[in-house]
Amino acid sequence: MTLPLEFDINGIKACQRNRHPLLFVDRVFDVIPGEKASAVKCFTYNEWFFPAHFDDEPNVPGFIQVESLVQTFIMSFLSQDELRGKKTNFLSINNVKFKRKIVPGDTLTVHATLTSFRRGIATGSAVSFVGDAPACSADFVVAVPDILDQFKPKGAA
Amino acid sequence: MSNLEKYQSIFKESFQYDGDVEQLIYQAIPDWDSVGHMQLMAALEDAFGIELDVDDIIDFSSFKKGITILAKYNVVI
Repeated sequence: MTLPLEFDINGIKACQRNRHPLLFVDRVFDVIPGEKASAVKCFTYNEWFFPAHFDDEPNVPGFIQVESLVQTFIMSFLSQDELRGKKTNFLSINNVKFKRKIVPGDTLTVHATLTSFRRGIATGSAVSFVGDAPACSADFVVAVPDILDQFKPKGAA
Repeated sequence: MSNLEKYQSIFKESFQYDGDVEQLIYQAIPDWDSVGHMQLMAALEDAFGIELDVDDIIDFSSFKKGITILAKYNVVI
C-alpha cells in the first residue's frame, strides 16, 4: 500500500455507505488513513436539486455542502481496512460557515482532518474551496455504531 | 480538588446533570446512552491519566461500579 491513498467512485463506495442521490464526493485523494483525506465534487446542472434550489438562481443547498464536507471527513477513517464499509451517524456539527455560493460548473475541493478516533467516535473538521476561494467549513463528531456498540455496558449494577 | 470531587464533576459535565450523580446508573438519564458513555469514559481517561480496558468500559454501568473499576487503575475515589 502506497501512501497517500486515492479512491475513485467505486473505491469511495467500498469505504462508505452513501449512495446516489446522496453521495457528494466524486474522487478522494491525499488520504492518510487515520489522519486526513481530501476530495473533489463537481457540480453540474444535471444535479437533482438545482431545478428546485432555485429555478431562477441554481446553487448548492447548504446541507449538501455539509454532506460533501462530512463525506470527505469520514474517508479519513473509513479508509482503514478494519472500518471499510461501516455506516456512520452524525453526533454533532459545529461552527458551520458558508463563505460563497456554489453554482453549476463549480468544482468543490474539500480537505478534512481527523483529530481523534476513539472507540467508534470520530472528531475532526473539514474545509472546502472553489478554486482558491473558501466555500464552507465545519467541525464534526461522527459515530460508527458498529464499533460504539462493542463498548456499551451490558447492564446496570 | 479531591478525586471524589473530580469524579463527580466529570459525571455532571459529561451528562449536563445537576442531580445526585452518586445514584446514577447507565441509561437512567437520557444523556447516559451509548454515546454519553463513550464521552464519560474519555473524560475519565483524560482526567485521571489512564486507559480503560474494554471489559472495564463494558462493566462501567453505574457511578458506584465506576469507583471499583477505577481502583484497579490505582485511582482511589
